Amino acid sequence: MSAHRLQQLKAHILSGSKSAEMAGPSSPLTTHVLNTAMGVPGSNMAISLYRLDPSTAVWSLITTGTTNEDGRCPGLISREMFTSAVYKMHFETAQYWQSMGETSFYPYVEIVFTIDDPSQKFHVPLLLSRFSYSTYRGS
Amino acid sequence: MAAAASCPLTTHVLNSADGVPASRLALTLHRLDSDLLLWNLLTVGTTNEDGRCPGLVSRDAFSPGMYKLRFETGSYWQSRGQTSFYPYVEVVFTITDPEQRFHVPLLLSRFSYSTYRGS
Repeated sequence: MSAHRLQQLKAHILSGSKSAEMAGPSSPLTTHVLNTAMGVPGSNMAISLYRLDPSTAVWSLITTGTTNEDGRCPGLISREMFTSAVYKMHFETAQYWQSMGETSFYPYVEIVFTIDDPSQKFHVPLLLSRFSYSTYRGS
Repeated sequence: MAAAASCPLTTHVLNSADGVPASRLALTLHRLDSDLLLWNLLTVGTTNEDGRCPGLVSRDAFSPGMYKLRFETGSYWQSRGQTSFYPYVEVVFTITDPEQRFHVPLLLSRFSYSTYRGS
């Protein structure tokens, strides 16, 4: 059983707040995956969000999800859970390219970022091709 | 420096906000031990005045596998008296044919970064 499948099962078994669909419509943290090689949204890509526990230096899984047809994944995190911390978004990029029968230079992409002021909105997009990617802090 | 000239893996860090090479940025190269699922540290380095770090890995040590370049970007911006959205940047990539040359640059600002596979 793949690690990704295990994560999916864990997200379903645990309480509803762990599921990306049930965390509410106005997540203060959003993402958007764009396939810049083909000029389309990066849809059906598995992603997961982690938060770093500063006292143990361990990453805790917050949410798993899959990008929709528009390359977005609503409901990543609720306002209540969105505390000041270091977060990590993990994108299963090679799996995405593989589902289209293509190889890729990057097995996955992880973007680690610091949230100092969780009252703001943060947009962490990923612009992706098989051999390049970029990200920026949006709102 | 002869070994550096034929280094199969190179990087180049550019500070795209200020339009300068990102010099004196600390970085590390790791290779995944696929049996233990651990990252083995291969090289520790700092970018030079041109934002480059010669001699990352020798041809002999450059076997097929999964590698990670970790750039200490948060420390870099901090040394310039600035904050940054990213505490560090890790780029994980797969090498299937180590006979080729691979260039893994990082174009960096306080609030964005990009990378691509060059040669």
